[in-house]
Amino acid sequence: MLRRYRRYLWAALVAGALVVSSALPAQAHGERAQEAFLRMRTIGWVDVAFSKDTVRQGETFTITGTAKILDAWPTNLAKGNPNTGYIAVIAPGPVVMLKERTINGVSAPSRIDIQKGRIYEFSMTVAGRRTGRWHVHPSFSVKGAGTLLGPGQWITVQENPDGFTNDVKLVGGGTINLENYQLTFTWIWLVITFLIGLAWMIYWTVPKRTVTNLAVTSQIPLNTDGMAYGLITKKDHRNMNWFAIGTALLLVAGWLYQANAFPTKMPLQVIQFAPPQPAIAEEAVFAKAAGANAQYDSATKTMTMEVDVTNSGSAPMELKEFTAAYLKFTTGTTAGPGVLVAAPQATVDPGATTKLTLTMKDPVWEEELLVPIGESQLLVTGIMVFENTEGKRNLTEVEANLQPRFE
Amino acid sequence: MATDARTLELRELVNKKYKYIDRKWDAVFWITAAFVVGAAADITKQLFAGDWDFWTDWKDRQWWPIITPFAIIIIGSALQYIQWLAWRFPTGMTYTAVAMFLATLIGRWIQWGAFVYYPMNFVWPATMVAAAIFADWVLLKTKSFVLTSIIGSMLFAFTWWVSNYVPLAPYLQPAEWMDRVITVADIQGIEYVRSQTPEYLRIIEHGSLRTFLGETQYVSLIFGATVAVAGYWVGQFIGRALAIWPIGRFMKKW
Repeated sequence: MLRRYRRYLWAALVAGALVVSSALPAQAHGERAQEAFLRMRTIGWVDVAFSKDTVRQGETFTITGTAKILDAWPTNLAKGNPNTGYIAVIAPGPVVMLKERTINGVSAPSRIDIQKGRIYEFSMTVAGRRTGRWHVHPSFSVKGAGTLLGPGQWITVQENPDGFTNDVKLVGGGTINLENYQLTFTWIWLVITFLIGLAWMIYWTVPKRTVTNLAVTSQIPLNTDGMAYGLITKKDHRNMNWFAIGTALLLVAGWLYQANAFPTKMPLQVIQFAPPQPAIAEEAVFAKAAGANAQYDSATKTMTMEVDVTNSGSAPMELKEFTAAYLKFTTGTTAGPGVLVAAPQATVDPGATTKLTLTMKDPVWEEELLVPIGESQLLVTGIMVFENTEGKRNLTEVEANLQPRFE
Repeated sequence: MATDARTLELRELVNKKYKYIDRKWDAVFWITAAFVVGAAADITKQLFAGDWDFWTDWKDRQWWPIITPFAIIIIGSALQYIQWLAWRFPTGMTYTAVAMFLATLIGRWIQWGAFVYYPMNFVWPATMVAAAIFADWVLLKTKSFVLTSIIGSMLFAFTWWVSNYVPLAPYLQPAEWMDRVITVADIQGIEYVRSQTPEYLRIIEHGSLRTFLGETQYVSLIFGATVAVAGYWVGQFIGRALAIWPIGRFMKKW
């Protein structure tokens, strides 16, 4: 019988090892877990670009782009009124470091006040830190809604043969390496306090018996230390007094040390402000979109959207791209991945209203689970980027009802 | 003074040699219980005060001194009751502190350091050892759980803060960053990416606490010490009702 159970145990161990060893490494950040309509109706990402895809440790690259909080923001997120946001970087841990961030041209170390419908042009300088190949995204976190991912890119961080430091300049003078600043002192302090505690425990548990004391303690009141019976002696009291005094002196010494070594300190900071609006937000609105409908053909992996576009400006305008969630389709003539074909043509004359048919033949809609068939809201939402012959741009939001085909 | 027979009898019992129980029992108990106690204390701390313990940029002067002493005194208080009741050892709090420190340290090193590569000077764990020594010392001196809950808990909270402010101090220095002056800890929090913890989730002082002449720190300490008293009795309940009482149901004499 024992042999049988041993066999079961071995079988369970082998099965467990097989399961664990066959697990594939995690490749993404779970963005597909969010419903399609949520990803498309919240933040619109335009012109997201990574300046490099390979850096050394300590070497920087920039992520730039524009994020728009869509007017279509769902009422069931942040109570329909997003007011606090944080633009940052999503990566598998601190494999990269955020070194600088500007939003609408202003340095933004921390969170910002946000509003539905507003545009945020961001630029983040990111440094490579841990060697490896990492998928990095810009992200826009909104209080009450969560974190919404922008388009990602694989970044390779190579080892820096000259070494790697993360330098920060102190106001009081001097530059520190944040990778290991004061680490030795911190460990020494924690270890010293730990050793005092260990000494206290050894004092009580090594010379004195433990388990057999119960025979005595079970017969005496709780509020006595058993001195009469030898459980605790006057010598124990004296020694513990010395422990307490020694610990107090250590704390005093530590306090004096930090007061002298680091005389200038300040509380942790909270920075929150509303960045100014970018130039594009002040541009005259010349492009409008309305009455949109969309269809998705699973057989040909094609999303087709019909939308009435009006050019109320004085110059011809052209549809340059369409973005939905973190997908981007650039206007072209031949259908294919990442290409948007506009019919009858991408250009709309001034004063004209045209029914544009946008055709996007790309399996990415299904791969990223952005076709909301089977969800509670059949909507395709995105941004159409128009540019007129005067060089002005409009980011025009469009929301199309998706007409599902059930076959 | 003549010693009565009962006292002599109990003295003999203290030093009695047992046939089947030797010091190995003590060693097995102390060593194996350390894993359970360390895990229980660490989990309790993480559930109540996790982020405040994980990151330097959460160790503020308002929430950190209020929440953390409450979180860490609970299991120590339970162990204090058990170890004093069973053996008259004033070691419960210190034993918890030592075991928890080892558990936290291993966890921090492996999980936060080796697995995800956060720098250790950003995620170092707070220590409760010095505070625990004072709490145990107060129990030894007063022999009273009521007095220990008041004097010991308050001393615990204050000592805990002093013993952890010393290693925290360097990270509260002002530094220039992104056209602003912020602390070194703030920079750590922003530079070392925490993907699912946007900055607005950081629960620290926002300046809304009414303070006496701007001394947020000391107002929080006093409140934290009071809250620690409540935490102490939560631990006493765990020790008495959930640990000792069930054992007493099965033992003829306690």
